[in-house]
Amino acid sequence: MLFRVARSRDGGTVSHYDLYKVDVKKGMTVLDALFQIQDKMDPSISFRYSCRGAVCGSCAMLINKEPRLACKTQVSDLNDLNMNLKPFPAITDLPPGWNSNEEVLVEPLPNLPILKDLIVDMTRFYNALESLKLWAEPAEGEKARIQSPSDRRKMERYVNCIMCALCFGSCPVNAEKKEYVGPSALAKAWRFHEDSRTADKDRYLKAAIAPEGAPLCDLIMNCVKACPKGVAPGGVIRKIKKAS
Amino acid sequence: MVDLKHDVLIVGAGLSGLRAAIEIIDTHDVAVVTKVHSLRSHSVAAQGGINAAMSIEDSWESHAFDTVKGSDYLADQDVVEVLTKNAPSVVIENELWGTAFSRTEDGTIAQRPFGGAAYPRTCYAADRTGHNLLHTTFEQAMRKGVKFYDEWFVTSLVRSDDRIVGVTALEIATGKVLGIGAKAVILATGGFGQVYGRSTNALINTGDGCGLALRAGVPLKDMEFIQFHPTGLKGSNILITEGARGEGGYLLNSKGERFMKEYAPEKMELAPRDIVARAIQTEVDEGRGFEGGYVHLDLIHLGAAKIKDRLPGIREISMDFAGVDPIEAPIPVVPTQHYSMGGIDCDKNGTTPLNGLFAVGETACMSVHGANRLGGNSLLETLVFGRIVGKNASEYSANAKDPDAEALDNATFAMRERIQAILMNESGELCAELRELMGATMDNDVGVFRDPRRMEGALKVIEMIQERFENVSIPRSDDRFNYALIRTLELENMLQLAYAITAGAIWREESRGAHWRIDHPKRDDDRFLKHTLITLIDGEMKIGTKDVNLGKFEVKERTY
Ligand code: SF4
Ligand code: FES
Repeated sequence: MLFRVARSRDGGTVSHYDLYKVDVKKGMTVLDALFQIQDKMDPSISFRYSCRGAVCGSCAMLINKEPRLACKTQVSDLNDLNMNLKPFPAITDLPPGWNSNEEVLVEPLPNLPILKDLIVDMTRFYNALESLKLWAEPAEGEKARIQSPSDRRKMERYVNCIMCALCFGSCPVNAEKKEYVGPSALAKAWRFHEDSRTADKDRYLKAAIAPEGAPLCDLIMNCVKACPKGVAPGGVIRKIKKAS
Repeated sequence: MVDLKHDVLIVGAGLSGLRAAIEIIDTHDVAVVTKVHSLRSHSVAAQGGINAAMSIEDSWESHAFDTVKGSDYLADQDVVEVLTKNAPSVVIENELWGTAFSRTEDGTIAQRPFGGAAYPRTCYAADRTGHNLLHTTFEQAMRKGVKFYDEWFVTSLVRSDDRIVGVTALEIATGKVLGIGAKAVILATGGFGQVYGRSTNALINTGDGCGLALRAGVPLKDMEFIQFHPTGLKGSNILITEGARGEGGYLLNSKGERFMKEYAPEKMELAPRDIVARAIQTEVDEGRGFEGGYVHLDLIHLGAAKIKDRLPGIREISMDFAGVDPIEAPIPVVPTQHYSMGGIDCDKNGTTPLNGLFAVGETACMSVHGANRLGGNSLLETLVFGRIVGKNASEYSANAKDPDAEALDNATFAMRERIQAILMNESGELCAELRELMGATMDNDVGVFRDPRRMEGALKVIEMIQERFENVSIPRSDDRFNYALIRTLELENMLQLAYAITAGAIWREESRGAHWRIDHPKRDDDRFLKHTLITLIDGEMKIGTKDVNLGKFEVKERTY
């Protein structure tokens, strides 16, 4: 199987694509394929990885023009996958020469600056967590608080976010507006707002409806389709817009 | 000249490192150096839970007894006491920070039964406990403004006379090697599962802290005690939590028998991990496994609702990585390397024999798990001892002199030369090939059942790989984000650890906990109720011993 991989030695833009012939084995993921390339063909290729089990959120990239976790994407499944994303240039502009029937196309996650090859600069993504102050104010006391299972369930979806940034990379608004904090930050703000234990719920709602937050979202819902953990940030943003 | 300097430098941003940083930041200048962003640390993958005696029927003494018995009496009992006494307070602390623990109907933190435990004392957040604890603890570190050096790889510890003065580190984004001065350094780099070819561990778990410590002359302890988790997913080796058995899952052989009745009639599937792993391996070896060498973990009888509520992550993993939905079909599992009981020799405050160097978490060996760790005790270890070691290191740094800048400069210069030399070597050995050979050797010859002749062979192979490593080459790589280089430096660490594990396993002529010798199938307290110490002296690994702190619980035979 041929892999066409975007390269960028100095960062900024994709400078060219390299073509590699990968020996595909049963159960192989796109991450496995990248390691085969790095190990056996081209040690200069750079990409992030850690858990290889779809829980750490390191390996977000664009695979056949869809934002996916490389470690969760089986090479054998690639033909049947279709996210049905609403188009924007990063996912519709095809590199010259790509033969989509025979080659797997691997590119860096859109909407964040390229640092090298498949590695993007996540600073903007992480900074949103800080600028929105997405943490709990520690509660006082010596005892754990009480929370009913149904209250806990209300935030279940949102606490499952692994901060992989696939939603950020799939969003046409993030592509256009650098100041937009992105879907996962808003989902996380809502997680604290929904938490029955939170004292100052307003703080998180306020953060979410700041100008660089929910008002920028056009409810395109690419994030819901791209999220590998069922967080469905788009649905949350609709709620935030309503609550404000 | 030294540009970067802190009172306390923490290496590793998983739960141990984060918890230590939070403890220190109010009083001292602290920074965390980490080769991956904190949220990518392996703590995130811990599934089943965190132990704490929280219910009225339960007690820290009972938790301590289970831990000591689980350890096959090799744990230091004073350390176990600290672990178990502090357990409820760290669980509560994380709850107050916002962790979304699962709840019982009355709204208290839910607890599930786990292997080797007398009571259901494992607190959990579905089967994503590590994920929840790590994200919450990271949020708190962010709130406090902890400084991170993200994507920096530490290449050496620098000592001057009898104390540590900092580290040299490679900034992955640029390929530059820089020195970072520190009065105290805490190693919190996690385990070294990648020494084995088949491990549940993240790909980044390469034991860097242990390699650094060893080369700085600090002993490693009890390295031969490697935990094989009974239920790694066949094929991809991803962890399937003990919580699946805690919730009532069965282990079945190819004849459909719950074979644990032959091995641990009382505890059955919830015997400690070493015992269950050996049972599965025996079933497979004696021909009662399935084609390809595995057994079934059957959850079907738990029903869809319980599986979706309590084990959603397991279901996702089984479907994504094995094409099996546990609601409808059993999960194929095999014993898989999972945890390193051994590590850097230190006491219950994280103090190592080198002044100013501390260790905590899986990379450390405080001897809290002895010869076999109980499930739910490792997340606990990170939070209990992260706090204590953080406090201890800041107290040390308050009284320590400024680090010796010249020693740091010299070490940085030498490290630059060394890495240049690797990068300049245009043709030679390929790192990947050596790594695969190491992994296969450890899988085959230093696994669940250990034969001294095969281990002697393994030791020779490792020595041979180390020789070949001298001529390792990374042709045509770039300076920036050179992960091929990082993987090469990691391999250097791992080869030393592979050697230490195997040497310890050959030396220990008994069977205890996770270490099973086919030629010595019994525990031998007269000769081996002691810790193994391995020190690098003039390029040679020397084996020594250290006494076990007993005291509270009498050493007894271990049955379940
Ligand atoms: S919301 Fe989903 S896609 Fe976005 S960061 Fe979280 S897990 Fe990733
Ligand atoms: S490597 Fe962790 S999510 Fe892919």
